Amino acid sequence: MTHALDIAKLEKAYGPQRVLKGVSFSVRPGSIMGLLGPNGAGKSTLIRSVMGIVEPDAGTIRLNGEAWSREGVRGIGYLPEERGLYKDMKVGEQAVYFARLKGMDKANAIRALKAWFERLEVDGWWDRKVTDISKGMAQKIQFICTVVHKPSLLILDEPLSGFDPINARRIIDAVRDLAADGTSILLSTHDMPSVERLCDEVVLLNGGEVVLSGQADVLREEGWSGEQEVVFRGNDLAFTNALGALAHLDGIAPDIADGVRRAHLRLRDAAHPGAVLQALSQSVEVLEFLKVRPTMESLFIEAVNATQTEVA
Amino acid sequence: MKGGLVATVILREWRTRVLKRSFIIGTLLMPFLSVGFVAGVVLFSEGSDPSHTVLVEDAPGLITRLDAASGQYVPRCPGCFPGRPNLQYRFVREAPSDSAWQADGYTVLVEYDEAVLQNKSGYLVYETSPGMMAKRDIERDLSRAMEHARVLSSTDLNWEAYQRLKLELRLVDREVSEAGRTEGGGEEIRGGIGFLFSAILFLVLTVYGGLIMRSVVEEKSNRVIEVLIAAVKPEALLLGKVLGTGAVALTQLVAWSVLSMLAFSTFQLFFDSGVMSAGGAMGMGADVPADLLTVMGENEFTAILLDIDWGWMIASTIGFFIGGYLLYGSLFAAVGASVNSEQEGQGMVVPIIMPLMFAYIVGSGALANPEMSAFTALSWFPLTSPVMMLVRVAVGVPLWEVIGSGLVLLVTARGVLWVAGRAYRHGVLHTGGKTGWKLLAQWIRGHGG
Repeated sequence: MTHALDIAKLEKAYGPQRVLKGVSFSVRPGSIMGLLGPNGAGKSTLIRSVMGIVEPDAGTIRLNGEAWSREGVRGIGYLPEERGLYKDMKVGEQAVYFARLKGMDKANAIRALKAWFERLEVDGWWDRKVTDISKGMAQKIQFICTVVHKPSLLILDEPLSGFDPINARRIIDAVRDLAADGTSILLSTHDMPSVERLCDEVVLLNGGEVVLSGQADVLREEGWSGEQEVVFRGNDLAFTNALGALAHLDGIAPDIADGVRRAHLRLRDAAHPGAVLQALSQSVEVLEFLKVRPTMESLFIEAVNATQTEVA
Repeated sequence: MKGGLVATVILREWRTRVLKRSFIIGTLLMPFLSVGFVAGVVLFSEGSDPSHTVLVEDAPGLITRLDAASGQYVPRCPGCFPGRPNLQYRFVREAPSDSAWQADGYTVLVEYDEAVLQNKSGYLVYETSPGMMAKRDIERDLSRAMEHARVLSSTDLNWEAYQRLKLELRLVDREVSEAGRTEGGGEEIRGGIGFLFSAILFLVLTVYGGLIMRSVVEEKSNRVIEVLIAAVKPEALLLGKVLGTGAVALTQLVAWSVLSMLAFSTFQLFFDSGVMSAGGAMGMGADVPADLLTVMGENEFTAILLDIDWGWMIASTIGFFIGGYLLYGSLFAAVGASVNSEQEGQGMVVPIIMPLMFAYIVGSGALANPEMSAFTALSWFPLTSPVMMLVRVAVGVPLWEVIGSGLVLLVTARGVLWVAGRAYRHGVLHTGGKTGWKLLAQWIRGHGG
C-alpha cells in the first residue's frame, strides 16, 4: 500500500541535543493519525522536517510513495500551531494569496474559497481587514487557507485551539469530511478528547522516540486492564460477596437513583467477564455491565511515565 | 513554477505598499513640492530684486561733477554706472537728513569721505535692506567709478588707455583624452549634481532597506512566516520580498520623474505664456525675459539643473540603485530575520549602513578632487560604490569603470543575497530568545534551528 506519508529512521539534532532519534511511522491514505507527545517530544521538528523547513540529519521521508521533494510538499496543507494573518490585507485578498502560493490560479482560488467561506459561515468577511475580525474568525480563515487547494495530506497542529465548542464541532466535521474524501491527515494535538473523536491511529513521541503507535481502538483495547462498571439495584454486601475471587472491587458510589448503585471493579481474569456477570446476576439486579477502556489521556500519561521510568 | 511563486510574493509586496494611502499621497505630493521649490526660486529670483533709488553723497567730489546745463551732479564716468533695471542713482555733495531723503523717495543712501580711497569703505544707509544682489551691484558701480577717479588723479593715463591695459586672465578648461582635447571644467557643479543624486540614492537605499526589515519582522511577529515558508523556499521568499519592495521604490522613483516632468512642463507652459511671469505682474514689461529656460539659466541654482545630463545620470542612478538595493536590501532582510522586534533591528543595522554613510560623507570631499585614488577605490568597493560612483559619473569617468564597478556590485549583491538567504532560512523561525551577530554568523554557517 502506498502511504500518504512514510517516515523512516528520522534523525535530527540541534548541536548536542538529539531531538529526533530514529522516528518511523506511516500515515495511511484517507486516515486521521494523531501525533501525540509531551512538550519537547520532537513533534514540531518532525512536522517541520516533513514541510522542508528543517533539514533532517538522517532518515527518509516519502510523500505518496515518492521521495521527498519541494513539489511534493506543495501538495500538503499545513496549519502550524504558531499561525497568523497579515494585518494590513483584506481577508479575501490574503486567502487568495495563500491559495496562489499553493499553485492555484486566481479564478479557481476565489471559487473554492467562496465555497469554504460559506460552509464555515465567514462569507460576510471577505472584504474586511484582519484587524476587524475576531480570533475565532481568524482561526477559521487560517483553516480554510490550509485546505483550499485540496491537499492529499493535511498536517494540522492544534487545529482546535481558540475555538468555542460550536465552531470546534464545525472544524471536526470538516476534517472528517476531508478524510472521507480521501485526504490523509496528521493531527498534532494535546487535546485528547479530540484525538478520541477524530483519530483512526496514533503515534506517541517522547524524547524524540516513538513510544506508542497503532490504531486508536486497538491501543485502547490492548490497554484495558479488566476495569468494569456495574450499575445495579441491591445490597452492597451481597454484591461484594458475589464477586468473591473473580474481581477486585475498587469502590461503590452512593445511590445514583432510588436504590440504584454504581460500582467499579477490576477483573482478576480479564478473559472471562461473563463469569462475573453471571455471579453478580444471582445476587443483585444488574442494570448495566460496561467495559471501561482506558482514555487516550491515560494511555498517553502511562506511556510517557513508563519511558521516563526506563530512562531513570 | 518557482518563478511564479516569486512573482506572487513580489506582487503582494508591491500591492500592499503601493495601494496604501500614505504611499499615494507621498508620491503625488513630492514632485509638486520639488517643482514648486524650483518655481519658487525662479519667481523669487525674478521678482525679489525690487527697484531702488540710490542717493550717493559724494562729499569729496571724487566721482561726480556739476553739470552746468542741468544743475545736477553727474558721474565723471557715465559708463561706470550701466543702466540697471533695479537701480537708479542720484548724486549730491551733501545729503539731507534721513527723514528728508526718505521723504524724497530714496530707499538707499551711500556715504563716504575723502579717506575712502585709502580705507576703501563707506556706509550703506537704509530703512529696509536692499538685498544682497542690489548691494553687490552698488558696490561694483561705485568701485569702478572710484577706480576711474584714482586712475585719472594718480597716473598720466586716460581711462580708455587704462581700460585697454587692464588685464583679467581667464583660464578655459580643456581635458586631454584619447579623443584629443575636449571641453572641461565645471567639476564642482557637476560633482554637486552627482552628490545630489548619491544623496537621493543613500536616502532611498536606507528607507527601503528599512522597509524590508520591518516587513520581515512583521511576518515573524504575526506568525505568517511558517505558513509562507511551507509553500515557498525561504531563499525564494526573500528574493520576492527584496524585489517586491524594490519594485515599490522604482515605482515611486518613476512616478516622481514622470510627475515632476509633467509639473515642470505645466509650470513652463504657464510661465512662458506670461500668466505667471512676475515681471509681467510687476509691470516691468520687456526688461524681464519671458522664457523660463532663460530665466533659469540666469539663476545660479536653476542653471545647475539645466546643466544636468539627465539621461545618463538617471540611467546610472537606476543601475547603481538596483545593485545597491539588492546588496543592502538582502542585508536588511537578514537582520530582520535575526531579531524579534524592529527596535532590536535598528540597533543592528547601524554597522551595516556605516559604509554607505561613510561614502556619503566623504562624497562631499570628492567634489573638490574626484580623481583622488581613495575616492576611485571607494567607487569600486561594492559597499560604497552606489553612492561614490554617482559623484564620479557626474564629474566624468570612463565608461569601462562605471560598467566594471556596476558588475562588481551586482556579483557581490548576488553573493550577499545567497548568504542572507541562509541567515533568513534559519532566522525567520527563531522567535524569542537571544539575537545578535554571533547567532547570525551561526545561521550563515548553517547551524542552528
